Formats: sequence, structure tokens, C-alpha cells
Amino acid sequence: MAHTATAPSPQGTTSHRRPTSGSGVNFARVLKSEWIKVTTVPSTMILLSITLVVMIGLSALFAWSMATSQASAESFTSSDPEIAAQLAATDYGEMALTAPSAGIIFGQLLIASLAVVLIASEWGTGMIRSTMVAVPKRIPALLAKNLIIAAIAFVVGAGAAFISYFVAQPLLAPEDIDFAITTDGVLLSIVNTGSVLALMAVIAMSIGALLRNTAGGVVTAIGLLMVLPIIVQIFSGLADWIPDAARFLPSSAGEAMVAVTTVEDGLTQWQGALVLGGWALVLLVLSLIVTKKRDV
Amino acid sequence: MIEAAELSKRYGAKTAVDGISFSVKPGQVTGFLGPNGAGKSTTMRMIVGLDNPSGGDVRVNGKHYAQHSAPLREVGALLDAKAVHTKRTAYNHLRAMAATHGIPNSRVKEVIEMTGLGPVAKKRVGGFSLGMGQRLGIACALLGDPHTVILDEPVNGLDPEGVQWVRHLAKGLASEGRTVFLSSHLMSEMALTADHLIVIGRGRIIADAPIKEILAGHGQTRARVRTDRPADLIRALAADGVSSQQFESDLLEITGADSRRIAEVALNHQILVYELTPLQASLEDAYMQLTSDEVEYHSHTLPQAGVTAGGGAGLQEGK
Repeated sequence: MAHTATAPSPQGTTSHRRPTSGSGVNFARVLKSEWIKVTTVPSTMILLSITLVVMIGLSALFAWSMATSQASAESFTSSDPEIAAQLAATDYGEMALTAPSAGIIFGQLLIASLAVVLIASEWGTGMIRSTMVAVPKRIPALLAKNLIIAAIAFVVGAGAAFISYFVAQPLLAPEDIDFAITTDGVLLSIVNTGSVLALMAVIAMSIGALLRNTAGGVVTAIGLLMVLPIIVQIFSGLADWIPDAARFLPSSAGEAMVAVTTVEDGLTQWQGALVLGGWALVLLVLSLIVTKKRDV
Repeated sequence: MIEAAELSKRYGAKTAVDGISFSVKPGQVTGFLGPNGAGKSTTMRMIVGLDNPSGGDVRVNGKHYAQHSAPLREVGALLDAKAVHTKRTAYNHLRAMAATHGIPNSRVKEVIEMTGLGPVAKKRVGGFSLGMGQRLGIACALLGDPHTVILDEPVNGLDPEGVQWVRHLAKGLASEGRTVFLSSHLMSEMALTADHLIVIGRGRIIADAPIKEILAGHGQTRARVRTDRPADLIRALAADGVSSQQFESDLLEITGADSRRIAEVALNHQILVYELTPLQASLEDAYMQLTSDEVEYHSHTLPQAGVTAGGGAGLQEGK
């Protein structure tokens, strides 16, 4: 559209033609605006850098512990046959396949915090009023922000896992448990590290939009992702349905998505994706409805 | 053009805006005046769709604000000086706002120049003074070159130069045929800037008239007089409706007699007068009179702090 033709005159106050259809709000423009907003606050770059470093660091640590465990398992073989048999059952080589995605545990917490901060700080600073005056239909603004944080989280998550793969190999190589990126399920696990972070970001941003408070949002998101699984673990002995239901927690679904081999009774990668996607979708729709209806 | 019809807003049991109807016409500056908690900011938030009305309706240029395809090009609003992320720079804030409407960066630079933000545009908003924050809010309001401009307390925190600038800006925008709606707690400022006045108290409209009419209808004639025989002059002037106040040994303020009458009396009594300044009836006086009526008519309801304590400086609008 020829919106440049209707751009404000240099003086800005000499004339005012009626706005034309080409000069209005559309989703691509809102997306660009949200991109500018996300990339022009210092917390974004700080938290993303920390996420990247922590995720790669944890993967390296995990790979190193796999290698040392493998080494000690081999040294045990000759001395004590009983323990050796037990250790032989543990396949460190197979466990090492999840090394690229090992950083997800903390990565998801950091990304969730970033997502909460990005949305809740708009209410904290009053910025939300500017946002909603510019985009009074509200939903496009919130959707655009979710889309951008999801995209960033995906790139950071998948990127960190990809880099982690190459960091892990030299650590695993001395024990001959290094593996090719083409090994069954490895590439999917790397990609899904990004997918999990993207969905976690949407979940956290929706929580932030519902609570409109940075501290409350971060605590709630971390509670859902980290504390709730622990509580469920503690009470899992009380009833049979508790461990069953625990598989459907966001954190368990995320673990299933990045697993290379499916655990017994666990969800497959795709089932995990459906469960986590469901959480994200329900919370997103809820946050859109509430934000649309409530006063700003 | 802003049109409100039976507009109301309730927060639980409290009624902030109580079924008000008014219209703000293009080509003039309309002032919106009222004490603390009178419902000014709530009304302005409803105009731009931040708050949903509990009842009634408000439209800008014939449509609800949110129905406009290019809202920033229809209405520019300064609602809250710090409706900005404190960690972002002024330039980036304006760039993000402009992006939603495809407004080019050249326009962003223009409004930065217009509002005198140039030296601080690349600094984080968190460090801004109140005045700089106001200028940024005004820059944001002007971004879309809108036909309707809404400014809530625009001179709040501005230095005298800034106050004058806002006055010229408001008048300039109105003279180009735009609709300008501004609230201010500085009533003297309103007298200088506004052509039309809507006075609100406790969520209701008390007056909606051209400013000249409000002043003529309610204000009293006052004059400042300097003389070396103040007591004699007061005695000579003594008549119904004339009262005086002595500020200094030779300075009087006389209410109820115009300058000509004072001069005549002084001449007749051979009293030397070396300053005689007619004072315009103050909007503050007119306003006090209006709101005291409101208290009278609605004395069954509990008087609110803003109205009862409305004397003098008590008429400041809070956030």
C-alpha cells in the first residue's frame, strides 16, 4: 500500500488528511513494534545470554559426568562382578544421547522468567497503556508478543542444544560413547529443546498477562515448572492416579519431548508435544480473553 | 469530535463517572476541569478504550476508539506521563509506537524535535524528569498527526517555558481545526488556554459552556489598588457588595467595584492612587461557586474531599 504517500507532512501540523486504509494497524506492523520493544530492553539480551551459557554449560557437565561414570563402570568390571553386572545394565552411552538437551531444566526457568518479565513489566511501568492505545483491539499486541518470545525461545533452545552437541562430543569421545548427530532421535531432541522452550515461554507469558505482576508471575511460573513436580513426587505414593497425572505436568511433558528413547509408561515425544501444546494453548486463550475484557 | 452519551463508570460501589453527556468540538480548545477524583482521568481512559464504560457510550469521530483502523492517526492521547517502559530509550519507545501504524522514522525524529526531546532521545526514560516525561507523552500523542488530541494534565511538571509551549501547541492545534481536549488543575492556565470549559465534580458535569460565559456568570470584578491612604479609600468606597483586603501598607484588593468607579471615588475624595489594575475574575472563584452549588444540590450525599477541601490549591488532580 502507498502508505508513504499519506505519511505526515514534515511540519506535522499544517494539514491533516483523513487516515486512509493503508495507514492503519495490521498484524505485521504490530509484530514489528513488539520486536522493537522486546529487543530494546536490556533484560532481554542479558537473560538470553545467561540462558545460552547455562544450557551449554549444563550439557557439558552432563556429558562429562556420563563419561566419568562410564569410565568408573569399566574399572569396576574386573574387581567386583556383582556391582559390575548392575553397572553394565546402565547404558551410559544411551543416556549420553540426551546430552544436547540436558540444559533444558534451567533453560526453561530462565526463558519463563524472561517471558513473564517482558509482559508483566508493561503493567509495572505503565507501558501497557501506550501499547493498548496504539493497538486498542489488544489481542494482536499480545499475540505478537507471544509469537516473538516463542520464536526467540525456539532459536535459543535449539541453538543451545545444537552447540551443546558439539561441546559434548570431545568429552564423550575418550570413553567411546560419542555419537553422530544422525543417531536416531538425536536431531529431534535438539529441535524439540527449542520447541519446549517456545511453549514454556508462551505458558509463562500467559501467566504474566493474567497476573500483571512480575514477581508474582515469575514465582507462579517457576512454581508450575519446578515446585509442582516436586510436590507431586512427594505425594505420588498416596494414590495410583497421582504419578499417572504427573505425566501431564508441563515439566514432564517437556522432558518427554526431548527424550531420545521413550521411558516406560511415559509419554512419547509427540504425546509430550500435544500435552505441552495444550497447556500453552489453554493459558494463551485464557490470557487473551482476560486481557481483552479487563480494564487496563 | 468526541461525543459522550450517558457515559458512566463504576468501580464496585463507587461511581467514578455518573452518566455524563458532552461533546468536544473541533477547532477549539476544550478544557476539562474538576477536583481530585472527579472522574476526569477515568473519562479520558474510556475515550481511548482503556477502560470499558459501565454504561453509556463514547465515540471519537463517530466510532468507538477501538473500531478505528488507524487509532493513532485519529486520536493522540497523553494519559499518563510515564506510560513508558523505564529501561527503554525515548527514541525506541516512539519507534515501537510508530511501527504499529507504519509511521516512518522520519516522523519519529520530527516529533522529537517538536517536543524538544533531541538531547535526551537516546537516554533511558527511567532517568527522565517529570517534565521530560510529559514531553515524551506529548510527542507520542502527536506521532500519528491526529485530528483529535487528548491531553491529561499536560503541563504537570513542566517549567514555565514548557507551560507556554503547551499553551501555544494546544491553541495551534485547535486553530488548524483539530479537536483539542485537555485537563489541567492549573485553572489560571485553563483560563489562558481553553475556549470552552467542561467542569466535572463527583462524576457529574457541573458546567459546559464557553469560558467567557463561565467567567461572566460567576466571577466578580476585582481590582488591585495602591494608595497612600488605603483606609480613606475603603471608607469612601463603602457600599453594598464592595469588600476589600489589605495586603501591604499601601496595597489593596477591592472586590465588587470596577476600576472606573474606584478612580472616580478616589478623584472625588482627593486620594492619590498610583496603581489601579483591573483583575480578571478568576476561574478559580467561578469554579468554587460552581462546585459549592453542586454540594448544595447534593447535600444528601457525603461530601468528597476534593469538593469540600477545594479551596485554593486543593483542586489538584491526583493520579
